[in-house]
Amino acid sequence: MTALPVGQPKGDDFINFELFKNELFSIADEMAVTICRTTYSGVLRDNMDFSTGIADAQGRLVAQGLTLPVHLGSIRTALEAVMNKYAGDIGDGDVFILNDPFEGGMHLPDIFILKPIFSGGELIAFAATTAHHVDVGGHVPGSNSVNSTEIFQEGLRIPPLKLVNGGKHDVALWGLIQSNVRLPIQLLGDLRAQLAACEIAQRKVLALTDRYGLGAARSYMAEITDYTERLARAALRELPDGEFDFEDWIDDDGMDVGVPIRLFVTVRKKGETVEFDWTGSAPQVRGAINCTLSVTEAASYTALRSILPGGIPNNDGVFRVIRTIAPKGSIANVAMPGACAARALTGFRMVDCAFGALSKMVPDRVFAASDGGNVGVTVAGFDRSGSRFVYVDFSCGTWGGRPWADGIDGISNIFVNMASQSVEQIESEHPIEILAYEFAQDRCGAGKFRGGAPFYRDYRIKVPDAILQIRADRQTIRPYGLHGGKAGKPGSVSLNPNTSNDPIGSKVTINVREGDEFRYVLPGGGGWGDPLQRDPVAVLKDVRNEIVSASAARQEYGVVLDEATLSVDQAATEKLRASLSAERGNATEFVNWVN
Amino acid sequence: MLDRPKAAACRVGIDIGGTFTDLVVVNDQGETFTKKVSSTADNYARAIIEGLAGVLEPAGLSVDRISEFLHGTTVGSNTILELKGARIGLIGTKGFRDILEIRNLRMPRLYDLRWDKPAPLVERYLRLTVNERVDATGAITTPLSRSEVEAAVQRLLAEKVEGIAVCLLNSYANPSHERLIAEVIRELAPDLPYSISSDVLPQMKEYERTSTTVVNAYIMPIVASYLKHLGDSLRNEGMKAPILLMQSNGGLTTAEEASEKPVNIVESGPAAGVVGAVRHAVNSGHSDIISFDMGGTTAKASVAENGQFVLSQQYSVGGGIMISSRLLTGGGYLLAVPAIDVAEVGAGGGSIVWIDAGGSMQIGPESAGANPGPVCYNKGGDRPTVTDANVILGYINPEYLVGGELKLDAARARNHFDRLLAKPLGVDVTTAAYGARQIAISNMIRAIKAVTSERGRDPRGFTLFALGGNGALFAAGMARELGIKSILVPPSAGLFSAYGLLHADVEHYYGETVRRLLRDIEPDTWLRSWSRLEDKARAQLSLDGFSEDEIHIRRFANMRYKGQTFEMNISLPDGPLTEASLATIEEAFGTEHERTYGHRASLDEPVQLISIQIAGLAARPGSAKPGKPQAHSGDLRAEQPPRKAYFGSEHGWLDTAIIPRSALTEPRRGPCIVEEYDTTCVIPPNATARLDAMSNIIITLE
Repeated sequence: MTALPVGQPKGDDFINFELFKNELFSIADEMAVTICRTTYSGVLRDNMDFSTGIADAQGRLVAQGLTLPVHLGSIRTALEAVMNKYAGDIGDGDVFILNDPFEGGMHLPDIFILKPIFSGGELIAFAATTAHHVDVGGHVPGSNSVNSTEIFQEGLRIPPLKLVNGGKHDVALWGLIQSNVRLPIQLLGDLRAQLAACEIAQRKVLALTDRYGLGAARSYMAEITDYTERLARAALRELPDGEFDFEDWIDDDGMDVGVPIRLFVTVRKKGETVEFDWTGSAPQVRGAINCTLSVTEAASYTALRSILPGGIPNNDGVFRVIRTIAPKGSIANVAMPGACAARALTGFRMVDCAFGALSKMVPDRVFAASDGGNVGVTVAGFDRSGSRFVYVDFSCGTWGGRPWADGIDGISNIFVNMASQSVEQIESEHPIEILAYEFAQDRCGAGKFRGGAPFYRDYRIKVPDAILQIRADRQTIRPYGLHGGKAGKPGSVSLNPNTSNDPIGSKVTINVREGDEFRYVLPGGGGWGDPLQRDPVAVLKDVRNEIVSASAARQEYGVVLDEATLSVDQAATEKLRASLSAERGNATEFVNWVN
Repeated sequence: MLDRPKAAACRVGIDIGGTFTDLVVVNDQGETFTKKVSSTADNYARAIIEGLAGVLEPAGLSVDRISEFLHGTTVGSNTILELKGARIGLIGTKGFRDILEIRNLRMPRLYDLRWDKPAPLVERYLRLTVNERVDATGAITTPLSRSEVEAAVQRLLAEKVEGIAVCLLNSYANPSHERLIAEVIRELAPDLPYSISSDVLPQMKEYERTSTTVVNAYIMPIVASYLKHLGDSLRNEGMKAPILLMQSNGGLTTAEEASEKPVNIVESGPAAGVVGAVRHAVNSGHSDIISFDMGGTTAKASVAENGQFVLSQQYSVGGGIMISSRLLTGGGYLLAVPAIDVAEVGAGGGSIVWIDAGGSMQIGPESAGANPGPVCYNKGGDRPTVTDANVILGYINPEYLVGGELKLDAARARNHFDRLLAKPLGVDVTTAAYGARQIAISNMIRAIKAVTSERGRDPRGFTLFALGGNGALFAAGMARELGIKSILVPPSAGLFSAYGLLHADVEHYYGETVRRLLRDIEPDTWLRSWSRLEDKARAQLSLDGFSEDEIHIRRFANMRYKGQTFEMNISLPDGPLTEASLATIEEAFGTEHERTYGHRASLDEPVQLISIQIAGLAARPGSAKPGKPQAHSGDLRAEQPPRKAYFGSEHGWLDTAIIPRSALTEPRRGPCIVEEYDTTCVIPPNATARLDAMSNIIITLE
């Protein structure tokens, strides 16, 4: 029998505690629903690039609503910045705003709206939201460009400020924001949605403290995080102790093209705590893919959470048992004035890297590398009526092979859970035509469990001229395979794919004209396990579905098919596999980036 | 075509579920007769025929005197859940072969590497594309060649498909290419069922339209043959009345129409339950209700205002129950057709009560089901459940379930609860059991919030309508937490889906995408669109056999602020449209936006009309509505000796009267417990219960 943990509510109180906890979590969810249903942008609705949460009076996150993993822990950092700057000056009716990566933010498009909640004159909680806005100014529409070298080029920088002071809106600040962004109606509309979410949270949190009393509410909030910490510790106890390191690489930063950037992590697991140490990762780079520490933390949490049992809430209790270290001035912890608009790219690679290290710890729970993160596409200009348009879309793609199953074809990266925007909706709202969006053949990494098939997309421009900005990666350094699995095929971006098919690199901002076409192909997922051990019937199915060609079935999997009868030629397959096996030697290398 | 016998003798509502087939018959005096029989999965019609005999004979009726046969069925959803649909092919636009499989990329669970995407209903080698293109305005930019279509259809025929679905890009704006493909299919394979997306769902968004069209084609042969077989069997028994089916949207449709568009009857059963609850509540004088249906493994909530239930514009089959946020979507098979909005959580009587690694009590989602069942059933179940908690607390008769068919072992429940839950938590067994009950309540409240406060509705203004085997056990506890004052427990709560069928109207929905600013629209143009849709609805209803004066049209519009990405569905008035009424509509949208989400844009921000819809309804003749239900023979006859029941630390253990429903003709203060054949109703202290004219138990909390 387990003893009752210290500090846990006793007697009848445990019931009230549970009721309080459920209620608080559902308030955080309700905030998320409010933002999602009233947003003006596809990025918020479909890519769901926003998060909501409730923190206690000390700024410790207690309940998080629907959250992109990429935002895990970011609310805490933002609240810290506000509490440091406004110690003694946080009042009832204030609402704070910030987006500065060097003072609580992550990158400029993510604007935080934070509202302190007072009961009887006392600060009891914060309602917090962050949302990705389509444009916050800067030199490239969409404010996502890789090709900035300083934060000053990236858009409007908002330090922690009072957007509302004692219930009174700061008209000057609203005006300043409005004048510095390309699509003010959208941005202000989305800010309004964030404010409404915080209002709702305030109303409901106050109802909760009325009901349970201020003292009880405080102690329940503390207990929610303690309870979570106990869950996290119990889960960590079950994992093997040790030190596990891994390295992975980003192709380049878009400025120093062709110069790979190293990420390196050492995971130290001991007892009930774990440390992700990113020392050994590259110094910060010129291009805008540097990460704030909060992004590095989010990447570390995401990988770890994916191997822990479900049901552990996202709050301060988890953060207490996971320590993230990254030297200041490195790509994993940017220093002023480094640019970071496209930092998600590095975040995705950190997740790949952290998974690689965890695969050494628990090989049967971790997949091979996924597509490596989303491709960001921005097309902007003026439509035929003279109105400005900014199309921003992020697409990702596919999972690596898993120790028990193939990688999923056509699925969001685990770091984001983004949905795609509808092709028909894009075409009806923007002067863009999408010509193709389907799986590409022979791009997934071979394996006993193959990597997921990536897709490609073709676009055509329908206005005289526009700006095209693309952020992609994994075009030279491929998604790794694990335990004998092969690497996924690289991604690519090209102009006029159906005629000249000119590669244009992974991180570009260029001018395009009417009739220009471009294509991106996502990288394929890495394979898991020796492809020669793949069930020939699974290979047959892939060939029949044209995900794998008959020649690749032979070369990569050693499977010979009788194409007339659509069946596996067993004898020929056994023979071919034997000779390939002899030729290849022992195909059980832990990691493979190359083929 | 409807051919309603004039000398109407009785109407029949039949709901087939996985386990039971429920039958409700109402004769022309409004008397109601009910029967519950086991479903016969090998041939559903058998249970219906046998059940009908059992319920009609004692009432002095027979099959040939049935004037209307109203049916709710799970055949559509089961076909999808069990992946037993037809082998179908899919024809799409070149370059877009994988819309069905790529879906919208989202997954319903975060940090879960073990999640798997549901297998596509059409495998890739049966998904073909043709070279064609229509742009967003409907202009053809690449014409479609007939010979290419013929080749594609021939290829699918060679693969021996049993049906074909067609969904081309932007076909909502111009269906001519899809029509050409349909023409070729009819020519090459005159008997092959097919579905084209511009017929099934002429609306923007290619994944939603493709998925819905594919589901339609996938279940069509199965639903059609089921309905044909059922019709033949009933006609053999002498029935002359047509079969009408409940649709997911709460309206009825004919068997012919359901065979063409089976996608509309997938949530037939749950819809019937909600319709029944809403109509019964309205007849009992309650127009704003939250229906709360709790069974053995899940609890469902739905809401109605002013006697109108709420529709959601899309839902998933097989997506699993709501885990936390309703925003976490992506599981199951998407259907973008209107369905009654129901939120579901994994908490029921059989839900397992356990302690997690953090030392906190959890309920479900795992359920002991009927086998091995709760600990108190003594059928091998060793894990305490919510039902065990109710037994320990004295709410459920500790000797046997009321029908007397199942003996219960309360001591066994208490022992297990004590050892596995109370001791580890450091509390006594009563507190642990009460805690389990309260935590189950707080989980179920999430479903209610999803349909109320998350949509800007304050649950306190509603009556809680308790359904299902466990609804009445928890209703008062739920209401207390939500601040709801009034609870309605109808008679025969367990038969409500069948009952609801007798209340439904025949209903058809038609819609059109508009996508223009409200202020730029010419009222006449809009009115012409309305008329076009209305004509379609009237034509269909007249085909269904209704006369002009029986038909009613309701108008809806999906609107949003320009630039927003989610629409709100607003109900609009009849009559002519003028510039002034457009302004009124714009204002109505702003008001609704503020009510739902707590904010609205400034007046100069334009409102965009995304699509318009109409519902064509045919109200049935006023006679033969079900009246007061009859008491069941298995119910208590008289008050029993009181037993102790626990009502929290505030009240402790109280002597609690055990009474039949009929005892409430005199209002009575709690605590007391009404025991009935199919449910138990708990009336706590500080509450009063009474019977109303419809034999409902009305509980009022103080």
